[in-house]
Amino acid sequence: MLKWPVLAAAAFAVIAFAVWRLLPGGQSPTVVVYVSHDQVFSEPILKDFENETGIKVRAVYDTEETKSTGTMNRLIAEKNNPQADVYWANEPIRAEVLRQQGIAAPYISPNAEGIAGSFKDPNGYWTGFAARARVLIVNKNAGAKPDSLLAYADPQWRGKTVIANPLFGTTTTEIAALFVLWGDERAQAFMSALKANGIKLSPSNGDSADLVAAGEFAFSLVDSDDVVSRMRQHQPIDLVYPDQGADGLGCFLVPNAVVLIAQAPHPDVGKKLIDYLLSKETEAKLARSDAAQIPLHSGVDGPPKLLPIDKVKTTQVNYTEIAAKLQAIQPFLKRWVESGS
Amino acid sequence: MSAIEFRSVDKIYRGRRVIDSLSFMIEGGERIVLFGPSGCGKSTTLLLIAGLVAPDAGEIRIDGKVVSTVRRIQLAPQSRGIGMVFQDLALWPHMSVADNIGFGLRARRIAAAERLRRIGDIANLVGLGDYLQVLPGELSGGEQQRVALARALALEPRFLLMDEPLSNLDAALSRRLRGEILRLHAELGFTLVYVTHGREEAQEIGTRTIELAETGAL
Amino acid sequence: MTERLILILATLVLALIGLLPVAAMLKETLIADGSFSLDAYRALLASDGQFAVLVGHSLQLSFLTAVISTLIGVPLGVLLGKTDLPLRGALTLLFTAPLLVPSYVLAVAWFSILGRTGLLGRVLPDAWSQEISSAFFGLFGCTFVLVTAFMPIAMLLTIAFLRTVNPRLENAGRLVSGWPRILLRITLPLMAPAIVFAAVLTFLLSLGEIGVPMYLRFPVYPVETLTQFAAFYDFRAATVAAAPLLLVTLIILGFQTGLHKRVLELGRRTPNGQVVVVALGPWRLPLFLLVLALAIVVVATPLGALVVQSSSLEIYKVALFRAGDSVLRSLAFAATSATLLAVLGFFLGYLSERRTLPIWWANEWLALLLLALPGSVIGIGLISLWNTKATSFIYASPAILVLGYVAQYAILPMRVVAASLGTIPRSLEQAARLSGAGWFMTLREIVAPLAGRGLIAAWLIGYVFSLRDIAISMVVYPPGSDTLPIRILTLMANGAPSLVAVLCIILIAITLLPLGVAGLWLKVGAKRP
Repeated sequence: MLKWPVLAAAAFAVIAFAVWRLLPGGQSPTVVVYVSHDQVFSEPILKDFENETGIKVRAVYDTEETKSTGTMNRLIAEKNNPQADVYWANEPIRAEVLRQQGIAAPYISPNAEGIAGSFKDPNGYWTGFAARARVLIVNKNAGAKPDSLLAYADPQWRGKTVIANPLFGTTTTEIAALFVLWGDERAQAFMSALKANGIKLSPSNGDSADLVAAGEFAFSLVDSDDVVSRMRQHQPIDLVYPDQGADGLGCFLVPNAVVLIAQAPHPDVGKKLIDYLLSKETEAKLARSDAAQIPLHSGVDGPPKLLPIDKVKTTQVNYTEIAAKLQAIQPFLKRWVESGS
Repeated sequence: MSAIEFRSVDKIYRGRRVIDSLSFMIEGGERIVLFGPSGCGKSTTLLLIAGLVAPDAGEIRIDGKVVSTVRRIQLAPQSRGIGMVFQDLALWPHMSVADNIGFGLRARRIAAAERLRRIGDIANLVGLGDYLQVLPGELSGGEQQRVALARALALEPRFLLMDEPLSNLDAALSRRLRGEILRLHAELGFTLVYVTHGREEAQEIGTRTIELAETGAL
Repeated sequence: MTERLILILATLVLALIGLLPVAAMLKETLIADGSFSLDAYRALLASDGQFAVLVGHSLQLSFLTAVISTLIGVPLGVLLGKTDLPLRGALTLLFTAPLLVPSYVLAVAWFSILGRTGLLGRVLPDAWSQEISSAFFGLFGCTFVLVTAFMPIAMLLTIAFLRTVNPRLENAGRLVSGWPRILLRITLPLMAPAIVFAAVLTFLLSLGEIGVPMYLRFPVYPVETLTQFAAFYDFRAATVAAAPLLLVTLIILGFQTGLHKRVLELGRRTPNGQVVVVALGPWRLPLFLLVLALAIVVVATPLGALVVQSSSLEIYKVALFRAGDSVLRSLAFAATSATLLAVLGFFLGYLSERRTLPIWWANEWLALLLLALPGSVIGIGLISLWNTKATSFIYASPAILVLGYVAQYAILPMRVVAASLGTIPRSLEQAARLSGAGWFMTLREIVAPLAGRGLIAAWLIGYVFSLRDIAISMVVYPPGSDTLPIRILTLMANGAPSLVAVLCIILIAITLLPLGVAGLWLKVGAKRP
């Protein structure tokens, strides 16, 4: 009756070997980075960093917020014994939340020079780079083209519009910006008008983009990289920069943000990674990639399918104010989402 | 001092009193038949003697020593010198006849050569010498009974418990096997406790009968 | 003594791995500003309006999914596990495939078929495709997708538990009746605990489902937990939000236990679970065609949509490059987890079936509650328990993933093993004890070999669920050690659909591989009783 124990032992040996073989090696210097930027775009950058510096990168990537809990929760849960050195956020609000929770450490990178002050924390708790623009994706068969966020409340588009769940991600950030810019009363009225006009919700910007491309809806407010990727897939869609008129709010920009984690296990290599991410070369790569991110350093070529930042009217905001407002309006947004669409 | 003694033993299963204040004594070498209608606790009595279940009241003694008290088994089954033929025979279907018989010898770490000798001897004793490498599923009912008997006798038990061992056999085979049991008893000298609900079988096998009522009492 | 010790140890392992992290989370929900408070629970109940609606939606979706999955899965399991239908093995593997793909990906695949500009939309009149598309976004679509995803559970459990039915009981019926009546009146009633378990499992998995309802715009309750995590970063509120799910689970557990008590345990048990094969006769071909049609609709269509998107060799190269080590990792982690689940499940299943300790029922309840808990709550609990300097060697390694899988899925191998042990008469163990074998020797030489199929099934079920896990993996995977399902989900954001499709196909392949091997092994070993 030796068959069973032997088989079991052999199986376990194979498994144990495989697991041992797969464990990241401990010899070379290592940096641990948690990444909220899409893995498709961020992984190649991190691999380049590995190849150029010899520093091994161990990354935790995020899914879209509505598919699972992710890196932010892990960072907060690990607060007392941080595992990460760096956090690569896909928008600055998360970075602000980390600063408020005491999870970020100040670091002013030499490569942060040249990035406008509105895109970074004055004390170095986070620094923005490589931005997306919040734009409208419009189905080519929609007929007329909307040119403003206010089109969501326009009766001609009743029941034909979709937006990503405003409790998560860049949609939340932009709505919080509207609350800052318009004030609570006007912003709440606008949100009510959206509901009255039959707006539908989707789990994410990517899903919104797919639904518009599939003709289920006429247009949606999404990130510029969502539009560019569907353009490259030759989907029947157009990109519109909203609110470009003289009285218009302008197009809201959402930069990536990089944070050094407080009490990081490897702070020195963490700083090296931050320097790398904030470099002009990285911004150029992200601009050229399908991420189509807009460089914040001047003199760096932008994405081919997008207008350069100086050719677009952008919304003038303070991200710290937006972060504070965002947390204040979350209960309102939750009620808004739950009131049915 | 009696070999087996029950003193006011109760056993309750799922709220039903299967054995009710049962007391009896069995002397060494006797052939005792536990007789009674279905459901009167005969099989349970065997399990209590074997120490496979504990009583809910009373005590059980072997050679004057307490081996089971209220919900406690003080002497483990394998230390009581008991061999048992279960009602469903309980042959291990994935083991050959030789392995079934030799299992207990292996458990007691009897050396391989000695083990093989004893397996051969006991198999021949019950007429299964040619079937050692066969699986129980390939044997007839009567042959399976003999394997169960051989297994029970392999460790030279002081007590042999048999729970309706011949109930599934035809009359002729049953008679033949009863004769073999009596022969083995004469040869090996164990104390036999035999469960049946057949009067003729009881009269033939037992030197004494303990009759249980439907209530599990004497 | 050894038996009691080992079984108590197994219980403690489950408590340590599963209960402690959750208890840590639950404790936080009862403390506010340093003292006991039920405010978090009051806030949940007081939340404007939608609580009852969302709970109602969740119960509706879960109930429909469980009922329909069981109604389809059980007869399918009977056909594939008990008849002479052709290509049974291949069909079983095929029907299992949707269970292995993240259900969100299935929803996207179905959308590419049923959406207005999807495959159907191109061939049907516009009005029809609009109707179908509208119906798809809502309860109907969610139920449809989840049924295709979870129906294999009822099917597989039916096939596994068919072996626990004593063939003598069926044969007794065959003297007086044909097979349809025997199946309906004898076989299936005897398998009722298994069928109920399959339905309960499907119900709980549907209850915790978020991705599909969100994609198909059907608001459900588990979104509350996700929202508290992802939007508010409020762990306390997220854990509190899980409380109604636990309450529903307790009610179901009570119902199931009550039903279990009423099921008669008839007939002698059958070592090794022989199955009487039903010869279908003239029905063989029509039923085969029916099953084939079902396979085409439920399995081939969405998977075909994935395959169609992955039609070039180039994309496979890119996918394998993108998948990288995550494929091997997924295999290794799932296999390790499955082995531990099988071992722990064996002892817990033994305790559950033999009831040798008074605490046997506590394991059942604990294990089922752990399955019902959102994986994200278990994950955060694991972080709070294991992320310390002293236990870093566990937390920073794949061991933390394995702990999470064992905690969440322990009930599955436990139940499978318990059912398998139920076919082994206790007299076989008693005979071994009387022969002088200790408990371990009895387990090793008598119980384990006879429960072999059950152990293999337990390993496989642990493997499948560990491999497809996302919720726990997402929260605790060690940096640089993501699994393939995580990689699929992270790459879905702006990854090419064809890339995602190929990765799903790779995931299906590595999941089906041990199932196929096990199937062959069991066939070869079938000659022995």
